[in-house]
Amino acid sequence: MLACKAVVAVLLVAAGGAKLADVAGFAASVRLFLPRPAAPRLDGTAARLDGTAVPRLDGTAARLDRGVAVGIAVGEIAAGAASLSSPRASWLNLVVLAICGGFVTVSAAGYRWHRGRSCRCFGALSRRRFNLAGLGRSAAIALGAGVATTPVRAAAIQLGPADRIALLAGALLVAAAAFSAAAAVGAGRGAQDAQPGWT
Amino acid sequence: MIAIPEYLVVAQWALLGALGVLVVIMFRQLGRLLTGAARAAELGPVTGRQAAPLTYARPGDPAERQLTPGGGQPLLLAFVDPTCPSCEELVGVLGELQTAGELAGLRVLLLISDPPSYLQISEVFSATGIEIGRPVRPAGLESYRVSATPLLVAVDAAGVVRAAGSVVRPAEVRAFAQSCLLPAPEAALTVVPAVAGRGEDGT
Repeated sequence: MLACKAVVAVLLVAAGGAKLADVAGFAASVRLFLPRPAAPRLDGTAARLDGTAVPRLDGTAARLDRGVAVGIAVGEIAAGAASLSSPRASWLNLVVLAICGGFVTVSAAGYRWHRGRSCRCFGALSRRRFNLAGLGRSAAIALGAGVATTPVRAAAIQLGPADRIALLAGALLVAAAAFSAAAAVGAGRGAQDAQPGWT
Repeated sequence: MIAIPEYLVVAQWALLGALGVLVVIMFRQLGRLLTGAARAAELGPVTGRQAAPLTYARPGDPAERQLTPGGGQPLLLAFVDPTCPSCEELVGVLGELQTAGELAGLRVLLLISDPPSYLQISEVFSATGIEIGRPVRPAGLESYRVSATPLLVAVDAAGVVRAAGSVVRPAEVRAFAQSCLLPAPEAALTVVPAVAGRGEDGT
């Protein structure tokens, strides 16, 4: 139970850090699940050579995608770090379980409607796509989060302030390492791996 | 004897394990960067060779169309997908250059592999005035070696591939466009593999 709690919390922190390194990429995955307007929002037009109008984009949707992406990544880090460093706060276990439930829902929706697309669940660190294996992984993490909600002996989770600060620092270190690793992988990869339809 | 809470031990091992995995990933990436040239060479068709014909369909139109390089018109083929952020950047640059008249004399075609329904999730793709097609047969596609996107391929009027690479910077795209307009001996352009590492000003 303790291992499940710690591992799920560290996974959340690492995933959040990696996502922050490639916000644009993760935003592209996020927008698969956000409702889109029927037509692009425009703020004006410019003339094409043939005289017809070229729409200009106001970027509202892109900003929304990025905002949601950053929010999810920061939320993961915050929830993971808090869960790791505050094991006695049992309500955090439920928050983490809810987040993991969200992952399962997204994985299921991705498997149903966007099969084969990149999920970027760990930013550039992972090349996982929405598929059955990804759904299984999400379910396994949610199962771990579920197990972590089981009550444990108070003595096993009795941490002093120094312990909690150390764990918080460790969590932030993992987030920073995940960010750096994802940034390095993303920079080295350059272009995005081709979709299955190309190969 | 000091009693250490079990959770503290478990959490420390979890953190240590995660850090270990991340360090391994970074070292692996270092190795990949050292062999990056080999990967870049595997992207895109071989320059100097005849570009393969493709069969494609436009979104919302099931009619199959034949793309036959070498028909007397230079081609700029962009292999892109609406779910790829760098592709959106390239499509935006192509749109700007086309609007500015810098792609005059060229036929520009965006080729996507995502289903046409994905076009609406991208503002850039749904608003572009550039022709979009989706290959409907694998024949010919393998010679373009689309192992990553975006991939821009410049084909001259004779159907010969003059440049291929993953580019998004306006200056690079402009160079690609010019390469397929020049006479063959002057058109030689090396593959530009870098999407990453571009200047902050986007040029």
